[in-house]
Amino acid sequence: MKFRKVAAVLLAAAMTASMMSGCGKSAEIGASSAKESSDAAEQTNDEAKAEEEATAGAEELDAVKTSSAGEDVKEFTAFFAVPGDELNDDNEIQQKIAEITGAKVKETWLTGQTAEEAVGTLIAGGEYPDFIDGSDGTAQLYAAGALVALDDYLDNYPNLKNFWSEEEWDKVRQDDGHIYWIPQFGNPYEEDMTATPAEAFWIQTRVLKWDNYPEIKTLDQYFDLIERYNEANPVMEDGTSNIPYTILCDDWRYFCLENPPQFLDGYPNDGSVIVNVEDKKIVDYNTTPTAKAYFQKLNEEFQKGIVDPESFTQSYDEYIAKLSSGRVLGMVDQAWQFQNAMDTLKQQGLESQGCSYVPLALTISEDLTPQYMSEPAINVANGVGITVSCEDVEGALQFLNDILEPEVRILRSWGIEGVDYEVGDDGIFYRTDEEWAKSTNSAYKASHGCAYSYLPNYTGLLADKINTSDPKEQPSEFIKSLPSDTQECLKAYGCETYVDMMGGIAPVPGPWFPMYSYSNTMTTATAGGTAWTKMGEIKHEYLPKVVMAEDFEQGWSEYLDVYAGCQPEDFLSEMQEELDRRIENAAKYQ
Amino acid sequence: MASKAEKVKSPVKKFDWKEFKRQKVLMIWAALFVIYGIIFCYLPLAGWVMGFQNYTPKNGLLHSEFIGLDKFRQLFSDTTFLRVIRNTLAMGVMNLVFTFVAAIGFAILLNEIVSKGGKKTVQTISYLPHFLSWIVVTGILHDILSGTGIVNELLLKAGILSQPLNFFAHPKYFWWIVAAANVWKETGWNAIIYLSAITSIDPCLYEAASIDGAGRWAKIRNIILPGIKPTIMILLLMNVGNVLNAGFEVQYLLGNGLVQSVSQTIDIYVLKWGISQNDFAIGTAAGIFKSFVSIILIVIANQIAKRSGEESLF
Repeated sequence: MKFRKVAAVLLAAAMTASMMSGCGKSAEIGASSAKESSDAAEQTNDEAKAEEEATAGAEELDAVKTSSAGEDVKEFTAFFAVPGDELNDDNEIQQKIAEITGAKVKETWLTGQTAEEAVGTLIAGGEYPDFIDGSDGTAQLYAAGALVALDDYLDNYPNLKNFWSEEEWDKVRQDDGHIYWIPQFGNPYEEDMTATPAEAFWIQTRVLKWDNYPEIKTLDQYFDLIERYNEANPVMEDGTSNIPYTILCDDWRYFCLENPPQFLDGYPNDGSVIVNVEDKKIVDYNTTPTAKAYFQKLNEEFQKGIVDPESFTQSYDEYIAKLSSGRVLGMVDQAWQFQNAMDTLKQQGLESQGCSYVPLALTISEDLTPQYMSEPAINVANGVGITVSCEDVEGALQFLNDILEPEVRILRSWGIEGVDYEVGDDGIFYRTDEEWAKSTNSAYKASHGCAYSYLPNYTGLLADKINTSDPKEQPSEFIKSLPSDTQECLKAYGCETYVDMMGGIAPVPGPWFPMYSYSNTMTTATAGGTAWTKMGEIKHEYLPKVVMAEDFEQGWSEYLDVYAGCQPEDFLSEMQEELDRRIENAAKYQ
Repeated sequence: MASKAEKVKSPVKKFDWKEFKRQKVLMIWAALFVIYGIIFCYLPLAGWVMGFQNYTPKNGLLHSEFIGLDKFRQLFSDTTFLRVIRNTLAMGVMNLVFTFVAAIGFAILLNEIVSKGGKKTVQTISYLPHFLSWIVVTGILHDILSGTGIVNELLLKAGILSQPLNFFAHPKYFWWIVAAANVWKETGWNAIIYLSAITSIDPCLYEAASIDGAGRWAKIRNIILPGIKPTIMILLLMNVGNVLNAGFEVQYLLGNGLVQSVSQTIDIYVLKWGISQNDFAIGTAAGIFKSFVSIILIVIANQIAKRSGEESLF
């Protein structure tokens, strides 16, 4: 843990350094983050003072520690093998939730490692935090016997028990028939209110505005627009040159390079394969004609200098720094992966130059209907589990149960009334502009907000059934939360949300969806899992080569040769088995 | 040397309780280090059992099924592993040769500086990078070798390149970048030991050489180099055993998908398959193989040194 922290600090330092050398604009980033931290310092000073005053009369030192958090607050630890932001120890809403539930959770997140490495290190050490979400390493945790079976307990915790239906709980059962983790996402209460997309081709609003907001539907139109824009406007207002298109290719994040072929073909995000709905057969998207066309396009654009030549060697931090500078016109990404960059763009006021990103749902040809967004579905591969190191399993489950109570749900997403949001006469929650600005300030988030974002929570509506769970999804608020250039852009297209830009949300194609929840649990213990690991390695090496190749055809056939050597058929047949099994299982509940 | 001394006295010495008591303090210190060695170097070797088992953390060392040499067979039929051995050896040898030559050369050059203050300053500055962690060094490397970094700027200004070169995208540069990073980081530090060896050379020799009309160059060749030869040999021997420790952090931090076929070392392989894929057995097998090769290398190097009448470790 110590090493990770040190590494994080150093990485942060290296990142700042690289941003400094990047371009002139970055001075402002540095300044703004410096300001943030001084704000945070001030805030903690104030708090410390307030606390001092409050406890001035207290006789014992211990009282200082417990006074703000109430009596006997249980402290749990949690590790989530995904990147995230740590909260300050004296976080205000966390204290409030602790007063209600009698417990708090100290969360730590992934830094500078892959999920599998982090989880593998924990397994090798044999000591775990109380709660864990192993992300891609979940299967390893189960195999190592690190998780406590939860099914015997669940009946005592109605909020948790009712969180998923009986059918869904059965999907989470492992081969020994027990439930070891609680999937925490994709669970709308009453109604799905999703307003933000996941993966998409993103483009800056200035590019669209320059061409009077044209219809962009295909990959060719997208790159054509970027090319024309960049030719007419090669630099930003301050003279920094644009990066027309960049690709994130760092470690496991290289899906931004490899998985668009499934979307371009009009299929939803099954993640690792395409499922042909007609004959219920697995199709490998890595070698389809669409995949070839997509990589050929990237190759062409790379030769023209449109694709950032540093795409395949940049780290995630360098990528985020590039996006935050506003230089990058377009890229493929998951919205959650560059949320920080969006916030930074806003804080720097780059929305005035039209540097905010809007999503586009592209296909390879106009006759296809894109399905970038699907209705929420349970992802059975991951979830939060309780480890064998936890000494108070009942207490831990009680806490998970309690944070699903209506008042805690409001605290987790909206915050405190009068501070973070207001209530209108009709009971509709809203935020003032100032409250919205605060909500994107990272220092404020760390000292005040506490979403427990990787512990179970509903999306959709709150218990009152009139307000949304996520403030950003509140229809009356959504437009306010957006940067001004995005608002203008959405208006020009006649859209109310990002979702409208993406052509709406497609229904779940079938009970098997999403297939990635199976491929994510594969390990090298099976032939299919070994093939899957090798395919990943080969794609990570050869797809960049294909894009950079001087002779595309030769590069592509080389890739196909090496790819075939990984025996992808082993992987595909195991996926087919799982698909058949899922369809069969679902039939039992109809 | 010790064995020669013993031969003069008596070849077999009986245990002498009095002698032992007299050296009580020494014995206690020695015992501490023996215990340290047992706990941290020998006890962990019990874990090697994993390499011969179908090990799962759930069953532990005692209850996992024995599978003999299966994991080793799997290892050597894996082309990735063979490539990883090649990378490790190549980078190990390159690091060894370049850091070695650079350190000796640097020590000699430094020794030639007459000004005391200048010498001290250069020496201090040159060994500072040793204290930087690799994560910082790779950060710096990423920056100076980036498209807008100083190296590209210089090459562009000098007209050697017409457009920036992405150094990390080409497998052919990777080993050289690693070697250069090692040289930059360790030269000053490694030079210290040679410098002290040079200082211990009898000044009379220099005077005598001067009288014979030897210039600086001749002094370096005929006095300094022979004078530090024993130090060089011992350090070389010790480092040969380290060739397979070609590094982990540098390659891990500098590597990317494009260069992974040349960047991965045995240590990264162990991390990837042992820790990430949870196959502790194959990770252990790779580790055993690495130790085995290291021991062989060190024995061979030692024999060569002995045969050629030089200093040897054992």
